[in-house]
Amino acid sequence: MDEFEEKIIVDKSVLNEWKKWARKGDMRVKGYKIVEAPRGDRVDRISRERFMIVERPHAVVYQHSFGLLSRFYEGLIEGKLYGTRCPKCGLKYLPPRTHCWNPSCKLEETEWIEMPTEGVIVTYTIMAFSATPFLPELPFVLAYVKVGDAATALPIQVKEIDPIDVHIGLKVKIKFKEERVGDLMDIYAVPAEKPHPPPRSKEEIEWLKRELKIVEEWVNKHFPKK
Amino acid sequence: MTRVAIVGAGMTRFDRPRRELQEEMVAEAMKNMWEDLPNLETKDIDAAVYSYFSDHLEQQLCFHWIIHDYLGLSGKPGYRVESGGATPIDAIINAYMFIKSGVFDLVLVAGWEKMGEVGTAKTNEFIAMASDTDWDFMVGGYYNGYYAALEVRRMHLYGDTIEDLALLSVKNHNNAIYNPYAQWRAKHGTSKITVDDVYKSRLISYPYRTMNIAEISDGAAVMLLASEEVAKKYTDTPIWITGVGLGNDSMRPGDRTGNPAWLGLYPEDEEIWPKEEPKPLTPYPEMANFGAFRYAADMAYKMAGIDNPRKEIDLVEIFNPYDGVELAAYEDLRFAKRGEGKTLIREGITERWGELPVNTSGGLYGQGHPVGATSIGQAITLFWQLREEIYKKWGSQQAQIPSPRRALIHGHGGTGCQAGVVIMER
Ligand SMILES: [Zn+2]
Repeated sequence: MDEFEEKIIVDKSVLNEWKKWARKGDMRVKGYKIVEAPRGDRVDRISRERFMIVERPHAVVYQHSFGLLSRFYEGLIEGKLYGTRCPKCGLKYLPPRTHCWNPSCKLEETEWIEMPTEGVIVTYTIMAFSATPFLPELPFVLAYVKVGDAATALPIQVKEIDPIDVHIGLKVKIKFKEERVGDLMDIYAVPAEKPHPPPRSKEEIEWLKRELKIVEEWVNKHFPKK
Repeated sequence: MTRVAIVGAGMTRFDRPRRELQEEMVAEAMKNMWEDLPNLETKDIDAAVYSYFSDHLEQQLCFHWIIHDYLGLSGKPGYRVESGGATPIDAIINAYMFIKSGVFDLVLVAGWEKMGEVGTAKTNEFIAMASDTDWDFMVGGYYNGYYAALEVRRMHLYGDTIEDLALLSVKNHNNAIYNPYAQWRAKHGTSKITVDDVYKSRLISYPYRTMNIAEISDGAAVMLLASEEVAKKYTDTPIWITGVGLGNDSMRPGDRTGNPAWLGLYPEDEEIWPKEEPKPLTPYPEMANFGAFRYAADMAYKMAGIDNPRKEIDLVEIFNPYDGVELAAYEDLRFAKRGEGKTLIREGITERWGELPVNTSGGLYGQGHPVGATSIGQAITLFWQLREEIYKKWGSQQAQIPSPRRALIHGHGGTGCQAGVVIMER
């Protein structure tokens, strides 16, 4: 029956290209080494043993659906910021929720609303280390931003500002990248006012500058820009 | 209903990497337990509750089936609990409920983790798969980022300082040097550190440095729980579990500024808010505190009949993947008022020699953090402390807290998404 058939509307799939990569990363033994290493339950009861260590990848590509929140991600591609609003209690959500989590609303279905692109930083951090997908972008500022009058705060990176000037309460503008793929990283925040940095001591500022420089040098070395 | 006792416990040293197999590490922990439980026969065990966090890190689903047969328990029920960092505390609480329900009398809790088989950055990514992978994960914060942002919020609202975080790091690292199961001792030795050592360690995510953050660890720990009747067969010095509590909060920390499920639960804490600061829809726990800890603690206190936790508890283990969590936990576990957690470390109250020692094990960067074993390892420290066996088990009299009677262990997962509290008494 037609109504049960999936119909492709837009196809930007890269699966065929990535299938090669996934095959190379199949879970088979690719290499090994033999080491001598400690064994023992307490630091004062240690013996030495030989261990064989194999190299075993595990690569995969997920075809992940954003479910009923897909409109938010399509909005990113369109250059629009969508949130949801509960028709019963009026709470606004960004990140959006399909169903209202207010216990008295009993999972009322929310409606889509276009959100303004202004917000305020609720809290933030300066990242000097990260996980593999974001190492080349270090250092960066991760913030939680309350957009418009949303009840909740959106995780987002803050750019176009010296990381040590970022502060709670800073008004920001949400901007869209030129090339967009429906990734939360399609958007970022920039200051919408002159920052009033938190009162940091001279030592703290020097420490942060020193550390951030080390990180930049490390990134330039390991992930050279073409 | 029967009372529930801890009758035995054993663990391996936490370290990274441990090159033994997971089942070999669990066997090592079992043998460590058997040193004190000569009467225990494998066939006496009615059921086992297993704790490991990550199918990704282990590259194995249903690892507990491997462990269960390895221990010689085939036929008997084996049950896995999984709740991120809360997994091991959750496993202890599940075993408690198994016995309390009358279904089983003697239940093994076994936990392990091997986190050393992928690189540090990849380990961070795998751990972060316990955060919302459609949202927070996608902007590159990972746990170092989430927790740092939560602590920045506390610094802003309450005036927590970088020095407070360093003091905690010094306290916990220096506790670990007495602990022969501690990763810090395995890799660093027994010399003490100062705040300057913390300040010299590298920035990870402001305000956290490497020395404010949990270790990535391999290791295993086991614990044996029994009904009152059965406990007598194995030990004259059981440690009783007199209260347990569980609690949860939102997956995404950013959602905590507006989560109506919390409204009205803790009205006194909702009142504590800086005047100059815009008040969010839900002021407690918000992003500055951990409501799941509070919920779990209050449930455990009620069960154990504790009215004034600060006075009625002698010894505490807090699950401290990041130092700011310990400050928040002081408040959410009701040892200090909201926003005043820092006074406990500033005044030395939670030092080993203080009025309320916290993390004599060394905590998650001192003892180590092989997730599935972490809270079991911390509970084992409390078990030996309450039985006054620290000299026997650690070879150090200095680390023994004098005659403790009642202890609390706290565990949690995610950014405080799930928490557990257990009260232990001799
Ligand atoms: Zn509603």
